[in-house]
Amino acid sequence: MSHSTVPRSRAEAHDRADRTSTASDGTTKTRKKASRGKRTGKLSLRLRFRRDRVLLLMTLPAILLLLLFNYLPILGNIVAFQDYDPYVSDNGIVSMLHSPWVGLENFQRIFADSAFWNAVQNTLVLFSLQLVLFFPLPIALALLINSVVRPRVRALSQAIMYLPHFFSWVLVIAVFQQLFGGAGVLSQLLRQHGYDGLDIMTDPSTFKFLVTAESVWKDAGWGIIVFLAALASVSPDLYEAAAMDGAGRWRRMWHVTLPALRPVIALLLVLRVGDALTVGFEQILLQRDAVGPGAAEVLDTFVWWNGVRNQDFGYAAAAGLIKGVVSLGLVLAANKVAHLMGEQGVYKK
Amino acid sequence: MTPNAASPSSGLSGSSGSSGSSGPSRRSFLASTAVATAAVAGGMPLLAACGASDTTSRGGSSGGKGAKKLLPSYVAGNVVSPDIPAKNGSAIGFTSKLDLAGLKTSVPKKLGKGGKLTVMSPFWGSPPKQDNAYYKAMNDLIGVDVVWQNQDGNTYDQKLGAVLASSDVPDVVVVPSWNMGGKIPTAIISKFADLGPYLSGDKVKDYPNLAAIPTDAWRRCIIGGKLRGLPQPSPYVTGIVPLYRKDIFDKEGYEVPRSADEFMSLAKEITNAKAKRWACMDMKWTAFQAFGVLSGSEKPLGWNLVDGKLINRIETDEYLEALEWTRKLFAAGVVHPDAKMGKNAPDPGPKFAAGEFLIYAQNITQWWSRTAEQATQNPDYRIWGMDIFGHDGGDPKLWAEQPAGIFAFVNKKASEAQIRNVLAVANVTAAPYGTKEYMLTNYGPEGTDYTVKNGVPVKTTQGNNEVLNAYVMIASPAATIAHPDFPDVAKAQVEWQQRMGAFTRKSSFYGQMITEPSRYTNLMNDFEQLEDDITRGRKKISDMQQAVSDWKSKGGDKLRDWYRKLLDDNGSSAN
Repeated sequence: MSHSTVPRSRAEAHDRADRTSTASDGTTKTRKKASRGKRTGKLSLRLRFRRDRVLLLMTLPAILLLLLFNYLPILGNIVAFQDYDPYVSDNGIVSMLHSPWVGLENFQRIFADSAFWNAVQNTLVLFSLQLVLFFPLPIALALLINSVVRPRVRALSQAIMYLPHFFSWVLVIAVFQQLFGGAGVLSQLLRQHGYDGLDIMTDPSTFKFLVTAESVWKDAGWGIIVFLAALASVSPDLYEAAAMDGAGRWRRMWHVTLPALRPVIALLLVLRVGDALTVGFEQILLQRDAVGPGAAEVLDTFVWWNGVRNQDFGYAAAAGLIKGVVSLGLVLAANKVAHLMGEQGVYKK
Repeated sequence: MTPNAASPSSGLSGSSGSSGSSGPSRRSFLASTAVATAAVAGGMPLLAACGASDTTSRGGSSGGKGAKKLLPSYVAGNVVSPDIPAKNGSAIGFTSKLDLAGLKTSVPKKLGKGGKLTVMSPFWGSPPKQDNAYYKAMNDLIGVDVVWQNQDGNTYDQKLGAVLASSDVPDVVVVPSWNMGGKIPTAIISKFADLGPYLSGDKVKDYPNLAAIPTDAWRRCIIGGKLRGLPQPSPYVTGIVPLYRKDIFDKEGYEVPRSADEFMSLAKEITNAKAKRWACMDMKWTAFQAFGVLSGSEKPLGWNLVDGKLINRIETDEYLEALEWTRKLFAAGVVHPDAKMGKNAPDPGPKFAAGEFLIYAQNITQWWSRTAEQATQNPDYRIWGMDIFGHDGGDPKLWAEQPAGIFAFVNKKASEAQIRNVLAVANVTAAPYGTKEYMLTNYGPEGTDYTVKNGVPVKTTQGNNEVLNAYVMIASPAATIAHPDFPDVAKAQVEWQQRMGAFTRKSSFYGQMITEPSRYTNLMNDFEQLEDDITRGRKKISDMQQAVSDWKSKGGDKLRDWYRKLLDDNGSSAN
């Protein structure tokens, strides 16, 4: 092993140097790319395999899990082309063999189903809202925490912000209900002072803001972890140098901190966009009845309702497949945009 | 609850007890009696039972000729004669003091042969831990180690489909008829055992308590041409009662309303949101009753022959009127805000006890279970059932519910020994009132789950937590109401059923177990949701009219033809 350690650590050092220079100056990017190409070109596939075999072995369990729980189930998508009846046998695969093929009928039904389009619309609106109102918050919070100097205060505020992440959705919604429900604390307080109660939890027109607010309360604190890690990797030298050049607090943030966060932001943005059609399942299911499917049905609950609740599995699988294909397209597109912006994105050719 | 009531009811009373939102109750569990049955039998022609496989896609009914051979013989098992015999589709009632020392034994020999039995069942309330005193005592008595997999009864339909689709179906699965939507009937036919070889005809006599279950209830267990289920008999009188806080009504001088208008003005009088008091919860079910809407608890009951044409409840004016009236209640602000949340709403029990609202519509079992629950800590609390009013102030027009609505099925893979174990369980849980088995099933072991005060069994807190709707789901005796701890409640319940029973009629498909052809089973899926959207002001009545016309063109009219054929073949159950 020892012989292989050397080149790797050298490569790492090289890489780190590259990254720093990229952060301060975008133009060095091309150089880095060139050097990397040269580096990997040196060794044949077989040699690289031998060199990294221990590492590869360590990834094996994860790969197996991935195959078993992510790739294998993809085969199940064939039920989207069937009038699938899971009850004809005790084995899902045998059931598939016995279920009649219907070609694209499920897809035709979906495209003609106004409930589906309603779910698509709700999903997209909710995604946009969360992108605008939720996504930037962890960044702001991370900057805020990062500016706190006293370690105790910092640890304490971090802990407080993380905490809601560990509450289940059932609990979060119960808390919201107690506070903002029609007979909750806020409404009763208003009524006692001669105003009307508020209808926050059961008003379909503001439901999407409610869902976003719940997500923010629960998960914004948790979202800062990645950004804090990125901030920790910024060399203090850069700040010192910038300060010496007369940069104030805001300029330092603009020219040093944010560029350092940029790759992470781009990465998370790509991932988020790829996941655009997933806007929260449990959270919404728990409140679906409170505002009705008109406001609350999203693609995931649509699939669940039709598949699990109504046992129209073929139809639900078709809706899920459409979602999967569109999501794939979104990831690819977002990744492309990230490349155009000069960032790594999720992967690189 | 009581006897049967106890059983089913208590079962459900779980809901009553603690949980509850809406579920269980919507359908009536309470028992029906043999008498009810007999009345019906005449009008119900038997149809040839369809072959199992055909039934899967083509649908079918238990009304066929073949059914007769499958039905278990009926052997009455009178242990104690009721103080109030069944009438008008009510349960039988017991109101006199129970002789606890003189309880009879209906299962002299332990029939269970040991071994484990997993049971998945809907549960209303918080399930107790598996190793509680009640479950242990029951398992000892039966001789089988029953392990419960309880699922929230209000959302049971959301779990059932997935569990039945897996390869790991529990030994016994309890399925209420209102959860038999979509492809569930197919699943029942393909996944569950034929109990005919153990129960049909005189074979049932090995299990005397099962033999005493009314034939009407058994007829409902024929699915796909085979006797598959173990029934929970119920009265055919509606199980949903408008329950109210009698103590507060008396104190404030409120009078029980006798028309839709009176209800509305009373509701406005009661409501004082500033003081955290509203009149009621969602009164949709009461509205359906008051306006004479056909039953929605099971799809076949929603059809009725009117002037030579089969019509469905959703096509009637009464249906729309009931929804509109319910909408007005919501719009008037007299409904507790929690009700807007529908199935996501928290348990109404504590808020009802706190007087946040004074009226709600729920299963009759809650009449007793909420009483028992509050008896010690809240002595003034008095929950009572009001008579259902006709919307115009006249007599209400009510429709009969099915004589059995909850069934236990046994996994097809079960060995004969396991099936006999299940029947051993059922034979204990179906024991009639006045037996030791009944007492244990409905009150748990003495000393821990109930104590005897002045000769009356009183449930302890532990009993209220443990003895809920578990064992009663596997089978129960002819519908019975008996609450030795609250005999006045038992009396009032049976009398309520008999008064309401006098206004109750049977629709065309009463009493049959009908499986719709699979291509039509999803047609009605979204109507309940739409009803709730309309009553809460999120959609309009015109949306419902649109949905009904879509329903017709998407298959509703064809389904009508299918039911018509069934009616022509089998005849009508209507009276």
